Amino acid sequence: MAKKTYDLLFKLLLIGDSGVGKTCVLFRFSDDAFNTTFISTIGIDFKIKTVELQGKKIKLQIWDTAGQERFHTITTSYYRGAMGIMLVYDITNAKSFENISKWLRNIDEHANEDVERMLLGNKCDMEDKRVVPKAKGEQIAREHGIRFFETSAKANINIEKAFLTLAEDILRKTPVKEPNSENVDISSGGGVTGWKSKCC
Amino acid sequence: LTEEEEEDEEEEEEEDEGGGAESALEKSPFQLTAEDVYDISSVVGRDLLQLSAGPRASAAAARLQFSIVRVLEMLEALVSGGSLAEERLRLERDRLRMEVEALRGEGAPGSLNLGPDKMVIDLTDPNRPRFTLQELREVLQERNQLKAQLLVVQEELQCYKRYIYHSVYKLSAQQQFSRNSEAPTSLSQLTTFTVQPLE
Repeated sequence: MAKKTYDLLFKLLLIGDSGVGKTCVLFRFSDDAFNTTFISTIGIDFKIKTVELQGKKIKLQIWDTAGQERFHTITTSYYRGAMGIMLVYDITNAKSFENISKWLRNIDEHANEDVERMLLGNKCDMEDKRVVPKAKGEQIAREHGIRFFETSAKANINIEKAFLTLAEDILRKTPVKEPNSENVDISSGGGVTGWKSKCC
Repeated sequence: LTEEEEEDEEEEEEEDEGGGAESALEKSPFQLTAEDVYDISSVVGRDLLQLSAGPRASAAAARLQFSIVRVLEMLEALVSGGSLAEERLRLERDRLRMEVEALRGEGAPGSLNLGPDKMVIDLTDPNRPRFTLQELREVLQERNQLKAQLLVVQEELQCYKRYIYHSVYKLSAQQQFSRNSEAPTSLSQLTTFTVQPLE
């Protein structure tokens, strides 16, 4: 058995209408890449990305859901385990913005009460096709007391910032655990030499 | 038998027949039988004969009038009852015809009377739905578990690669130090495939 290579595991979830760019947002964050071909997510998928925050290695397990209605019974069963939820809409698609209240209701119904929420207005590189003003996104986020970013997976705007901010917000709420000899390397101050005692 | 006696017998018979005819005229038109119609016919015929000549002509005329009126009444009742029955039968026929058509339609494809939440699946369509949501859920769960396992294995592999890199690095350093020209071929072959620079 390999020892853990991280200090904390955060489970995040991406939700929102079909085609708003949830998978692209995640792909930009995990692989720093972008693909214009639209392939609808089947049910649920996930990616892993390890980040370092406040000297802690945090493994982000990010669940990417299908926005299509026909998968909803499958996707809603993943809300419960999420510590953070990113609700994504498309600034060029008014319907996706109108549906935010519906998605927020889904969170209320299916997610943990203390789940950290965040609103993302994606595709902000397409200014000429914008139909949702930034102020409207900010307003609805303020009304629900959640953070808001306008992002672009294509132009790589605010993607990493959004994920790291959500992870920081979760970290802030996470109680400090006793150091575990199995997954925390005390002898080294991190860096290249740290890997050996941790995982081999 | 004398002529008179024969006449008397005839009289008696006539009396009997007359009684039969009278009772037939009193019957409900809907309970009349063919026998009753013959009785009425015979009594009417007798009265007609007596009407042409004879001492009982006036009595026969009165009876005949009564009979004719009664027969007409019966005819009227039968005709109107018959047309009512005909109307009832016509409605019944139309109803049955529609029922038969509906039953025939249920057996025919394409004309199913489905509810708003129902769907028809063409079993010959290669793209027809085949899996339930539960089956899809299980397949996705399995896929994601395998993906998670793959990531763990990839991580372990990364560790081994680094371990080998370090070993080879140390080994070659020792070899350089001892100026031993003989390299450990198997290990160096391995490292050409697996060693990646440290991040």
